[in-house]
Amino acid sequence: MTHRYIKIGATVLVIALAFAGMVWSTLRDGTEYYKNLDEVMTNPVEWRGKQLQLHGYVVPDSILRSRTNALEYRFKVQNNPAKGGAGESGAVINASYTGVVPDTFKGEAEVVLKGQLTPDGGFKVDPNGVMAKCPSKYEPKSGA
Amino acid sequence: MASLGSFLLLASFVVSAYAASISVVGARRRSRRLIESGVGAFYMVAALMTVASAVMINAFLTDDYSIKYVAHYSDSVQPLFYKITSYWGGLDGSIMFWVFLLALFGAAAVWVNRERERELIPYVVATISTVQMFFLYLMIVHKNPFSTFLTKVPADGTGLNPLLQNYWMAIHPPSLYTGFVGMTIPYAFCMAALITGHLDDSWIRAVRRWTMIGWLFLTFGLTLGMIWAYEVLGWGGYWGWDPVENAGLLPWFTATAFLHSVMVQERRSMLRVWNVSLVIITFFLTIFGTFMTRSGVVASVHAFGDDPMLARLFSIFMVAILTFSFGLVIYRLPLLKARNNEFDSWMSREAAFLANNWILLFSAMFIGFATMFPTLSEAVTGTRLTVATPFFNKWMIPIGLVLLFLTGVGPLLAWRKSSVRNMIDQFMWPTIAAVAGAVLVYALGIRLWSSGLCFALCAFVCGTIVQEYWRGGNVRRKNTGTDLLTAIVGLVGRNKRRYGGYIVHLGIVLIFLGFGGNGSKLEKTEQVKRGGEIHIGAYTLRHDGVKVSDDGQKQMTTGTVAVFKDGKQIDTMYPGRSVFRKHENEEARSDVAIRRTIAEDLYIVLTPDVDFGTQTVSYQVYVNPLVDWIWLGFGVLAFGTGIALLPERAYSFALAKMPAEVAATTVAVLLMLLLGAPPASAQMPHVANPSLAIAPAKNALEDQLRREMGCVCGGCAHEALTSCTCGQAQEMRDQLRAQIDQGKTHDQIIEAFVGIYGGQQFLQAPIDRGFNRIAWLLPYVLGATGIVGIGFAAVKWSRHDGAPRADHAPALDADLNERIDDELRDLD
Repeated sequence: MTHRYIKIGATVLVIALAFAGMVWSTLRDGTEYYKNLDEVMTNPVEWRGKQLQLHGYVVPDSILRSRTNALEYRFKVQNNPAKGGAGESGAVINASYTGVVPDTFKGEAEVVLKGQLTPDGGFKVDPNGVMAKCPSKYEPKSGA
Repeated sequence: MASLGSFLLLASFVVSAYAASISVVGARRRSRRLIESGVGAFYMVAALMTVASAVMINAFLTDDYSIKYVAHYSDSVQPLFYKITSYWGGLDGSIMFWVFLLALFGAAAVWVNRERERELIPYVVATISTVQMFFLYLMIVHKNPFSTFLTKVPADGTGLNPLLQNYWMAIHPPSLYTGFVGMTIPYAFCMAALITGHLDDSWIRAVRRWTMIGWLFLTFGLTLGMIWAYEVLGWGGYWGWDPVENAGLLPWFTATAFLHSVMVQERRSMLRVWNVSLVIITFFLTIFGTFMTRSGVVASVHAFGDDPMLARLFSIFMVAILTFSFGLVIYRLPLLKARNNEFDSWMSREAAFLANNWILLFSAMFIGFATMFPTLSEAVTGTRLTVATPFFNKWMIPIGLVLLFLTGVGPLLAWRKSSVRNMIDQFMWPTIAAVAGAVLVYALGIRLWSSGLCFALCAFVCGTIVQEYWRGGNVRRKNTGTDLLTAIVGLVGRNKRRYGGYIVHLGIVLIFLGFGGNGSKLEKTEQVKRGGEIHIGAYTLRHDGVKVSDDGQKQMTTGTVAVFKDGKQIDTMYPGRSVFRKHENEEARSDVAIRRTIAEDLYIVLTPDVDFGTQTVSYQVYVNPLVDWIWLGFGVLAFGTGIALLPERAYSFALAKMPAEVAATTVAVLLMLLLGAPPASAQMPHVANPSLAIAPAKNALEDQLRREMGCVCGGCAHEALTSCTCGQAQEMRDQLRAQIDQGKTHDQIIEAFVGIYGGQQFLQAPIDRGFNRIAWLLPYVLGATGIVGIGFAAVKWSRHDGAPRADHAPALDADLNERIDDELRDLD
């Protein structure tokens, strides 16, 4: 009887370990770090090359579109909401993106950007990597 | 009305509490009267919740904006249909709707099993009542859907979210909730069996059916969610591994596992602890899923907002469930120990089922883990790490393929042990089918391993199913001397669960065909000027301009795209975006244009990048092969489940009355209908024409009528005549103008239209008159039913002695039923 339990136990252990190992290995290239801009900018070198989901706010009137390709965007992102008060913007970064942006992507919008830091200190957004956050998606805004 | 609603919820809570406690007391004292009283109270909760629902729907219909919930999810311009469905559109209402469904389901389950499972009933009542109490408590202390504005009442509501104003979304939540609620019933029976120690295999029979019903609704809900995402969200896909979607998928996996492993218990009396655990886990996952989506623990595009209080309450409840349930399992371990726990061989059906169970359970665990991963990583390391779609796909594609493979293998293996000769005999044809499928796929030029393997496995499973029907049918044909088709119909009737199950498998194969097609999906985003072309796959799309229109509720931007294939124009499509008046700050709703064919869908999204001056826009274009097979597959799956669920008597009765040839003819006719129908419905007759200028209404009456009437082409969403631009709508407008010109009154015109269209389907909302009062009567009817139910329950409740005549006949019936059941089981 005990012999059987050892066999079953060993099998389960091996399978569990194998799966854990596989999950671990695939997790490494499947994960993205969700970070606020300030957290990244305190030590940008550490985050270079890592896949990020960067949370911030679009700096008002900073969105520029390329003349040759209308789907090419350059804009600035800051850590704090634009209406947070003067000089309270927190870290600011230049972002570049090519593709379609959501309707709600405009100055002051709260955004999450998927992409990577570039060596020149900017942020390159992945295709379809702009997510304008809409806190009221399924719930009415308070005060509405 | 609001205070009546709040009172009803409170009353439901009290009565639930009474039902729970009195049932337990009754069961322990073996007092029939107390148990009856508990059951009566239990029915009473269903009645009370029905009345409460009626009050809620009534509030929506009468635009009672003093109730916060109504003000948030409805407004005066909302169509009647969405006013009713707003009931479950938000958090508070959805919890209430949940309790309502649970009460109804529970009452039905108790009623059906009241004689056969008499020993279990009191604890079933107690368990379900406790679950109800939890949700009622949530509503009473924290999320009362009937809470009102204390100060100023708004003049109009904010309206249901535009994304939810979609036909599929209106029926998706009830279906998913029904599935979730359905899983509570098996759990209640399981708990009752554990508590009473009646752990022979009889409770499992009561549970099996209810799990199947719950499973069907869950599958339906998930499919509807996919259709909704595909048609409304406009990203070209239908499944994005979003936490809310995953929440529905978790219990689906474990319920599927249970439906398979329960067969092993019935046949071999094995896996009893396992089955009990699966029932508990499935129920737990439904609660966990609700917790995940309602409390803001996991960020999602369509989760409801943050709510720490709710999260805390749910956490306590979940811990309680787990501790109590598994505590009971451990307590009853000696009774649960199987008589024989040894597999005879790994080459047996029970082993295949076990493998399928492990994989299903692993899938559930994996998806649960990955969904919770961002939250977990934040809790452990302080950094929020997220996992994206590729990670899910990397894991779930191979897992799905293995499951598909097992779907084909399971039925081919014999119970106990398959001999080598037996295996060769069984596997030959399905394997040939698989190889043929693989060769065909290769010849067609598909080089993606996952899709190729998927198609080959689909062929394999189809081979298995056909072989099973063929062999079974032939044996029966020889025995009964009829033709093959009649024999197969008889065969299905003989063993509905087995052959219905194979039809479910066929549905799964079709769904997998659709998934496999996803591998060869094409995608393109391009900016085009007027007359500019986009080339994708075999299609050439020409942008013919963009314009704006407005229908009072929303502003629509619509592009015109001419579709060419092989140099010939085959269609014109109108992708658009709508900004809703009350939701101007939110993302516009994509009105995706989809050209459906059996082989592939052409899917065009108009992006927000629109410049009216230069008529320049950007389109996102997708070609999605085989997508429609997923929806078709669900139809087949539902049909199969329906067969498996058919009551024993109904089927055999129908068959016995029927001359042999009738069956064959009926099946032949049905087959022809099935084969004939899809091509007809695959193409939509709706051809919108945005360049059409709708002539302004001549007078107020015409304008009013245009608003009241909807296009009947069947292709559009029954759009109002004020905005629909297809030919059908134009014809209707012309008819309307002719009637107006004749100087007819409002009612006369409606009457004339009823004459033309043979019904009132052209109206946006049914006329508040005659038969149509029923739509408006719905809340009152619901209310009345509930009140009658309360009265009935109250009488029953207060009756002093249990009806004496009920003791004789049903006892006999129960005996008979049991014998019939045993005999039927032996036939399996």
